Amino acid sequence: MPDSAPSPPAVTVENLTKVFKSGLGKQAFVAVRDLSLTVEKGEVYGLIGPNGSGKSTTMKAILGLLSPTMGKTTIFGKSSVEVESRRDVGFLPENPYFYKHLSGLETLLFYGRLCSMSGRDLQDKAREMLALTGLEDAANRRVAGFSKGMLQRLGLAQALLHEPRLIILDEPTAGVDPAGSRKIRDLIMGFKERGITVLVTSHLLEQIQEVCDRVGIMAHGRMVREGKLDDLIAVENETELILADASPDLLAEIRTLAESKGATWIRSGHSRTTLERLFLESTEEPKS
Amino acid sequence: MNSNSFSPARIWTLAAATVTQLVRMKIMAFLVVFCVIVVAAGFAFPVMNPEQQLKLLKDVSFGALQIFSVVIAIVSTALLLPRDLEDRTLYTILSKPVPRYEYLLGKLIGVLLLIGAGLVLMDIAFSAVLWLRQSLVLAQSVAALKQEGVATPEAIAQLNEFVGKQGLTWNIHLGVLAIFLKASVIAALSLMISCFASSTLFTVVISLLVTIIGHGQGLIREYFFSEGMNQIMKKMGSAMLAILTPDLGIFDVLDNVINGELVSAFSAGAMVGTAAMYVTGYVLVSHLLFVEKEL
Repeated sequence: MPDSAPSPPAVTVENLTKVFKSGLGKQAFVAVRDLSLTVEKGEVYGLIGPNGSGKSTTMKAILGLLSPTMGKTTIFGKSSVEVESRRDVGFLPENPYFYKHLSGLETLLFYGRLCSMSGRDLQDKAREMLALTGLEDAANRRVAGFSKGMLQRLGLAQALLHEPRLIILDEPTAGVDPAGSRKIRDLIMGFKERGITVLVTSHLLEQIQEVCDRVGIMAHGRMVREGKLDDLIAVENETELILADASPDLLAEIRTLAESKGATWIRSGHSRTTLERLFLESTEEPKS
Repeated sequence: MNSNSFSPARIWTLAAATVTQLVRMKIMAFLVVFCVIVVAAGFAFPVMNPEQQLKLLKDVSFGALQIFSVVIAIVSTALLLPRDLEDRTLYTILSKPVPRYEYLLGKLIGVLLLIGAGLVLMDIAFSAVLWLRQSLVLAQSVAALKQEGVATPEAIAQLNEFVGKQGLTWNIHLGVLAIFLKASVIAALSLMISCFASSTLFTVVISLLVTIIGHGQGLIREYFFSEGMNQIMKKMGSAMLAILTPDLGIFDVLDNVINGELVSAFSAGAMVGTAAMYVTGYVLVSHLLFVEKEL
């Protein structure tokens, strides 16, 4: 019996180049140059880079919102120019805005209907998403009165509503407080456990480090580094040793031994928590 | 379900959201203003003769209906697409399995539904006031005839016929239909302009300009393409004018309606056909522009 054809990756970007034409007498702007990347199914892929490096343009090309000047992009094997390719995608843009005249629930019902959802299923799913993103209390409140963090969470809810196999998040934690940011991080971890593919950009590199399997670093429209996170961030000639309750004498002994064997002692000291962890521990209400 | 296929349900979702958006922007407050204008026009100037009173009421009411429909058609259509783009709402909509033509159709249908519903409500208010005024004028005129001692059955029948012709007839509704058709063409035109415009203001100004030229297309043809021009140049000039601006003069049947003249079935058919042609053409061009638009 012949083997079935291997299923296509969640996202492919092949030699993508995007040039924005400028007005008369102005030079065209090359936002992305000959970019290639692949996101496998079930993977959490982080795309990082400074402002203007071409991350958002790449995401828009993947979603079919921009047409490539050269190259092509696919989602689960379907070309991004096909509307059908967006059936399995949930997208959260950077600083999302929604119709201000709708309430939180109405917004989700609107987006659900665009995904051909209807009736009781849609109602239930919308309420489930509001609960998941902590917006139950804002279900009947107009979006015009939502804070930036609430808009971000509503954006996440609309992206997840139709149970997509791929979620694209453009700066998901922009403008969100540390607790909200942690919640989004936990959600991404949850997607990973459920086998949902995630493509995410963020300026918060620590978060990318916490959740991503692979990372691509973009600069000036090009991919400058790409690979598994552990491989990229490991410093090959250094070793970390973390001890609890080690006395100064023990540390001195270890240092002497290490130096006698030709190793260089770089530093020792107390482990430090992160400011985020400290903030969360200080502000979280004690569980009853 | 193949989401790539045409989906009336998705278009309806977009149209309903558009109607809700415009209604919650309190655009329909114009209806209240309209009712005040109609009632004021209906019961002011009682010293005029019956014909003048009914004509004035129709004149003022149709004027208000025209302003409502043209303003809503231009402003609300011009607001929708650029605002969705500026607010980036368009990203979340088009990243769902929504073809761009469905988005455009949904927006246009939403605006047309709002204008249509507004015109129906205003038509009802206008018809009610006209009918009341007509009954009042008839009663006053019959009383005057009786006072003068000339209230013969023939005179009363003649008066009935005269007031009936100037009062509430199906012609009034045909006039409202003409206003709706004209507004549909202007809304589709504004939608097309908003597909390449850089701002709401640009869309409003250009749409208004084209609408004004469209109303005077007949005059422009007469003035510029009459003398001293060969037939080919004349035809080319007329064709260019027809492509660049819609001939809105074809919908101008209101003077006939106000004067109590009947709008023929042929005229009504020509209006519907012309409106359908323009709306289809503008929507097709809008799609061609929008499908290539970089978001």
